Amino acid sequence: MRRIRSVLARIAGVFAGRSAEDDLRDELQSHLDLETAENIRRGMPPEEARRQALLASGGLTQAAEAVRDQRGLPSLESMVADIRYALRALRHSPGFTAVVVTTLALGIGANTAIFSVVRGVLLKPLPHRDGDRLVYLRHSREGPGGANVTFSVPEVRDLRTGVPSLSGIAQYSSWSVIHQSKEGAERFRVGLVTGNYFEVMGLSTVVGRPTGQGDDGPGASPVAVLTHEFWLKRFGGDPAIVGKQLTLDRRPVTVIGVLQPAPFFPEQVDALLNMVNSNHHLGASMVEERTHRMTEVVARLAPGRTLEQARSQISEIYARMHGDYPEAYDAGSRYHVAVTPFKDVLGERARLTLWLLMGAAAFVLIISAANVANLTLMRGVRREHELVVRAALGAGAGRLRRLLLAENLALTILGATLGMAIAVAGIGPLTSLAERYSPRASEIRLDVVVLAFALTLSVLLASLLAFVAWLPKEGGLAVAISPGARRASGGLRKQRLQRALVVVQVAVSVVLLAGAGLLTRTLIRLAEVDTGLTTEEVLTMQVPLLTDADRSIPAAKAAAEDRYERMRSEIAALPGVVEVGVGSPPLRLSEVVWEVKAEGKVAAAGVTPPRAEVRTANPEFFRAAGIPLLQGRPFASTDGPVSAGVVIINQMLATQLFAGEDLVGRRIAWTGDIVRLYPPSAGWRTIVGVAGNIRDGELDVEPGPAVYVPLSQLGELGGSLAIRADSNIAGLAAAAKRIVRRIAPTAPIENVMTVAQYKDRTFSPRRLNAVLVSSFGILAVIIASVGIAGVLGFSVSARRNEIGIRMSLGAGPGRVERMILWEGGVLLAGGFVLGIAGAFFAVRVMQGLLFGVAPHDPSTFIGVAVMMAAIGVVACWIPALRAARIDPAIAMRAE
Amino acid sequence: MAEKMDVQQGTLALMILRTLQVLGPLHGYGIARRIEETSKNRLSLNYGTLYPALLKLEQEGCITAEWRPSENNRRAKYYALTVVGRKQLARETREWQRTADLIAAFLAPRGEAP
Repeated sequence: MRRIRSVLARIAGVFAGRSAEDDLRDELQSHLDLETAENIRRGMPPEEARRQALLASGGLTQAAEAVRDQRGLPSLESMVADIRYALRALRHSPGFTAVVVTTLALGIGANTAIFSVVRGVLLKPLPHRDGDRLVYLRHSREGPGGANVTFSVPEVRDLRTGVPSLSGIAQYSSWSVIHQSKEGAERFRVGLVTGNYFEVMGLSTVVGRPTGQGDDGPGASPVAVLTHEFWLKRFGGDPAIVGKQLTLDRRPVTVIGVLQPAPFFPEQVDALLNMVNSNHHLGASMVEERTHRMTEVVARLAPGRTLEQARSQISEIYARMHGDYPEAYDAGSRYHVAVTPFKDVLGERARLTLWLLMGAAAFVLIISAANVANLTLMRGVRREHELVVRAALGAGAGRLRRLLLAENLALTILGATLGMAIAVAGIGPLTSLAERYSPRASEIRLDVVVLAFALTLSVLLASLLAFVAWLPKEGGLAVAISPGARRASGGLRKQRLQRALVVVQVAVSVVLLAGAGLLTRTLIRLAEVDTGLTTEEVLTMQVPLLTDADRSIPAAKAAAEDRYERMRSEIAALPGVVEVGVGSPPLRLSEVVWEVKAEGKVAAAGVTPPRAEVRTANPEFFRAAGIPLLQGRPFASTDGPVSAGVVIINQMLATQLFAGEDLVGRRIAWTGDIVRLYPPSAGWRTIVGVAGNIRDGELDVEPGPAVYVPLSQLGELGGSLAIRADSNIAGLAAAAKRIVRRIAPTAPIENVMTVAQYKDRTFSPRRLNAVLVSSFGILAVIIASVGIAGVLGFSVSARRNEIGIRMSLGAGPGRVERMILWEGGVLLAGGFVLGIAGAFFAVRVMQGLLFGVAPHDPSTFIGVAVMMAAIGVVACWIPALRAARIDPAIAMRAE
Repeated sequence: MAEKMDVQQGTLALMILRTLQVLGPLHGYGIARRIEETSKNRLSLNYGTLYPALLKLEQEGCITAEWRPSENNRRAKYYALTVVGRKQLARETREWQRTADLIAAFLAPRGEAP
């Protein structure tokens, strides 16, 4: 009871202001007056009476200080004063302050920025209602294009009835439609979804309504829900759009709502439409064919059911499908289904890169914290005298520790503030990096949590530093305060800690440098990759002339072909243009992949026929796009729709099918389900040529088999213009677009890109990766060098006296220099060995980000070794030279 | 002159409370004088010891403080015992007595264990 009252009184005392101070002063003064009066009464002269009273008081200031300590809570009250004092002290050593604050700012800034990205992209809960109950079903098979084959409608039907652990299964199918309006035509990327899609995904609309069960089936009217981003971008966020009609693929579609902001999945789309918007999706083939797979499946776990239960039920029903329909799952392809939490699927591509960057940033923070600790330690030793005097004047160990804590707090908070500024500046480029990997990049922001993260970091650091910093031991005061004290400073124990910190810095730098080296070598390897094309001076633009409905109308196909031909000849007449072709754009993977068989070859049982990309080309295309023809001839205008089918295959497929045999007169055909699902694909086609392998898709992926068909024979696959010029291809774009616009006013013009730009798509995210990790590495090395030079320099100045004695006893400057170099070399070597060992483990996790270079690439490691050694030796040499220049006479007199 | 002693930890509060019980409300100077006199000047109290102790007792509610005119018409801060303080004094006196008896028994000249 008494204690509680006392604590309350002391808390109140913290806020006691002026009046308490006045009161105290008056009280002490009255005591003094009373005592003086008493002394006078006893017969002392007034002067003497007052002097005696003062003597007896034991010091008014000290008394007032003691009362103040008793009045409030000591830590709270003196903290403010301490920080004020700390700031004043830091102002007096601007060099130290600048180095520490900058180092910390870089460490904290990098960590804060990257943590914001990690949080936004990987950690934050999904905006979907109960988003952690969502799972994604991935259907895969082995071989090219098999990573995600999606599901067919009959397969989804089986899952719907056979998996009670899933409360709902939503279907999503990628599609695109042409929007016609007064302003012209544009392509909308859309998802065709079942009515339950929004219910299952746990998403709602900000305006209007989502789709429901009533929007399913062939009788429903076509409706669209716009995505939030597209609504803002295309319709300026106008809520009146709901209820209006858009013309999509020449069909009136009512906009019923606008989706809440949500990560796009599986791709960025403009709108979600019900299935009735596509004739294809209502067709018998789509609904009945088990191998007609173009449906993505997201499902919601039923209440109380676990992911494990769902997994086992799905694999059970899936095994039954295999038994019932063996023809749909050929054994050689190893079809399988994986069930993954939806959140993990969204973070899949970003995870490795982001954790790598987070790790690199954390390493930088470790190094900068070690550096700050070292600098603080050294400064602590230089201030030894000051602290000892403070201790001698009555400051307790707790009080001194508080003082150091205040200083470190001031330092780290300054660092954190500057770091936040760095983070704010860095968040933009990082977000654009994340956009390439994650659909959740729009959720990245520096918010309260991230701010708290930075502040917690700095407070933790400050306390840690206050803990390692030197404090005078109570018993050792007399020794420390004596005139020879400086000789005693920098004791062995303290130096050991400093040295350990330097070793850690070097080790961490080595790890970062190794990572940076591997990523840089990856970039170099990628730049060396031969795409297979003979030129990069090619501009491509996609001009889809056929809508979904047009594909089956021969007259529409002929008209489209005619228009392509007109564009081709007009653009070819532009100055500087060498050749113009129409075909599947080079370096862009075709979405059409069919199974191929060769005439006269009987596939062994259980072996799946090869799957090859199907690409279109007109007679000029190979020359225009720079695709080399290794054998035979390009397509000719005589290879019309009525003549016998012809193809050109790439070398990869030639080797797979014929293994070096003569190809003249050989024929191939498409096989498997496609022939049944799409009758025009049937029939033998004669090989007229062999093209070189081209790295369509990503540069780091080996080229796969490909079949080229004349545009005139499979025009429904469409094509894009490939314009080859002798110079300034980018400058041609405007003129070429004007021609296209005139010939096809209602067709969208898309992906106007040069071949070099296609290449850069693979390149740029990796370049940013390599640049970031490299700058972290360089930063680490710089900080570590400062650390080495600082510790050695300190050691030199602490040993000035010793070095002076050595030199006066006959040690030459060279010998002293070697002594200091050796001291640094040991630290360097220690850190180096530790770093290489660490790097061997650390780089293993990077494997997925590398290309053309092994994680333990010897030349990278040697490069890192040379670089670290060179920088380290320079860092050691500066203090070593200083040591060698010590004049023994001066050094020994200095004490 | 007798050797000067520092006030032992924990005993000062008891001395203050006892002084206030005997002499009634008193200012800091009066308390200090009384304690020094009672100890036959073996104890000396400087301000830095006395005033924090007074503040502590005030915070605990054992004493109250009030400014009023002193005997020779100066203003001084007078401290007075409260009910809580009286109880505290009684309790501490009892405990101190017991400790003193125990120590006395230990240090008795014969030194035999009972």
